[in-house]
Amino acid sequence: MSLAPEDTAGAAPDEHTKDSLGIRALIFTRDRGIVVLWILLIIVFSIWASPFFAKWSNAVLIANAAALTAVYAAGVAAGAISGALDISLPGVAALAGVTCGWLLTHHVSVVVGIAVALLIGLAIGVVNGLITLRGFNPLIVTIGTLSATSGLAAVVAGGYTITGLNQLTFMGTRHYAGIPAPVWIVIALYIVLTVFLTQTRDGIRFMAVGGNKEAVRRSGIQSNRYRVLGFMISGFCAALGGLITTAVDTSANPAADPSIIFTALTAVALAGVALTGGRGSLPRVLVGALILATISNALTIKGIQPYWGTIVTGLLLLAALGMEKGVETSVERRLMAAAQATVHSGKK
Amino acid sequence: MIPLTDTAPALELSGIDMHYGYVRALDQIDFRVANGEVVALLGDNGAGKSTLLKVMSGAHRPTAGTIRVHGREMEFHSPTDSTHAGIQMVYQDLALVEAQDIATNLTLGREILRKPPLGWLGFVDKKAQRKRSQAELDRLGVRTAAMTRPVEMLSGGQRQVVALARSATRVSGERNGVLLLDEPTAALGYEQTRQVEALIVRMASHGIGCVLVTHNLPLAMEVSTRIVVLNRGRKYADVATDKTDNDQLVGWITGARPSMFAA
Repeated sequence: MSLAPEDTAGAAPDEHTKDSLGIRALIFTRDRGIVVLWILLIIVFSIWASPFFAKWSNAVLIANAAALTAVYAAGVAAGAISGALDISLPGVAALAGVTCGWLLTHHVSVVVGIAVALLIGLAIGVVNGLITLRGFNPLIVTIGTLSATSGLAAVVAGGYTITGLNQLTFMGTRHYAGIPAPVWIVIALYIVLTVFLTQTRDGIRFMAVGGNKEAVRRSGIQSNRYRVLGFMISGFCAALGGLITTAVDTSANPAADPSIIFTALTAVALAGVALTGGRGSLPRVLVGALILATISNALTIKGIQPYWGTIVTGLLLLAALGMEKGVETSVERRLMAAAQATVHSGKK
Repeated sequence: MIPLTDTAPALELSGIDMHYGYVRALDQIDFRVANGEVVALLGDNGAGKSTLLKVMSGAHRPTAGTIRVHGREMEFHSPTDSTHAGIQMVYQDLALVEAQDIATNLTLGREILRKPPLGWLGFVDKKAQRKRSQAELDRLGVRTAAMTRPVEMLSGGQRQVVALARSATRVSGERNGVLLLDEPTAALGYEQTRQVEALIVRMASHGIGCVLVTHNLPLAMEVSTRIVVLNRGRKYADVATDKTDNDQLVGWITGARPSMFAA
């Protein structure tokens, strides 16, 4: 070593694998603000809409109402994290539901029907991904597949709603241990996706590709397959959502419902998932979906017209954006102050 | 191991010509960097510094001349080839994943998996990764911030240090490689520049060869062991840093002083 030990330039003293408590608290606030918001809403509604709101049975209702949004939101979030906004969800959902319905009315077993529907979701994801890799804007590409898949759904169903699909109630209206099936599906989906994104090598690389493709490429990793994976996850979620809708309604409607994408996007945006990619956490997206359901539930209990719910949701989204920005700037300022301190006082 | 490879320079270029049409960007350049050496590559704009660096990193293929890595003749068809040979370019855009923490950035592409059965499913051992990243930074004598700190929350200098350390860990395998640095302190303030300078010296002391392209004469004098001056595609000087001074260097850079290699 040619350098004297005290010249380990810029050394911040006594910093090891963990940040100081203050900085970790700031990072926590930045990342978990939405949970605080949700808890506040619950407290307010518990008082305002008492005694009907704060009940276990009502909690189950909220969870069930949030389930479908949560499934689609997981898909939108997966796409957004990988840096692509997937608009094709409603079409994929309709196509998956209708295909499963058609198969079931033609005496195919339930397992095969569900498997085919999910495979369709994955396949459309692959198509979306491969087209996008050619350098086209994912927004435009998925608008194209949205149109194509909703048209296909109408073709499969012959233009009519397929009714009488009672075989799927086990994943629709049935309750297990007092909790409706869609909620169980959401719990399983979110656990699997969260563990994948945060704990596995491919999940972490997937997040990294959304954040900085070049960094991943220079690490000698093929980034393209992770970009396709994003569309595959969102296609899968869309198909799953279509199946749940079919199961709950016991009928498959070929009309793609565009409100799916906007509700899901609201939940994703509330959760602070950057549409530019690379950041976001699924548990927060789940809370985002729950917030939407919580608001509309409380307003329903109070007998307020549902359009007020839309207004409140919109305002809340804007307020959440403002809060996020505020917290982020203050965190940054605090961190920069800390960095300055260590550079200027931490050595020599 | 063949004894030749131990004494041979980590990277040696001889008789490198680079022609773009009628323009001779590089004219019969000989260049070598040994393990543990910091060679500063100086020259005015258009002198051929960046072109030479791109030849070393495999981004350009020279019109003529040979490249040897640890004495073995090689041909680079792409930057990937040179990376495999242990030569790593540190780009000016740092290419860090902003939202991820330091440990993740340092381990991307060479993750540590958990023990089976979780390892079979691709589960990552984050604790081990943090420990290894910390150990690698400690070995380089770098203290930036906690390993769990997202890169977006680091200052410019800290980011540069993380990017340099990442490259350093990539080339310090069983045999030390070469780092190619293009203006590593261009965007940094005084304190941060000092930090990066110290890191370069320390990486060299660990046996990594460094090639430093810069306009910054004080930086070159501070960290390099040898200085090579290019002037209009020709090598004008190749001297040990302590055998020269500012005036001489400026003379070679501007062409006011005749080349050391003039016939």
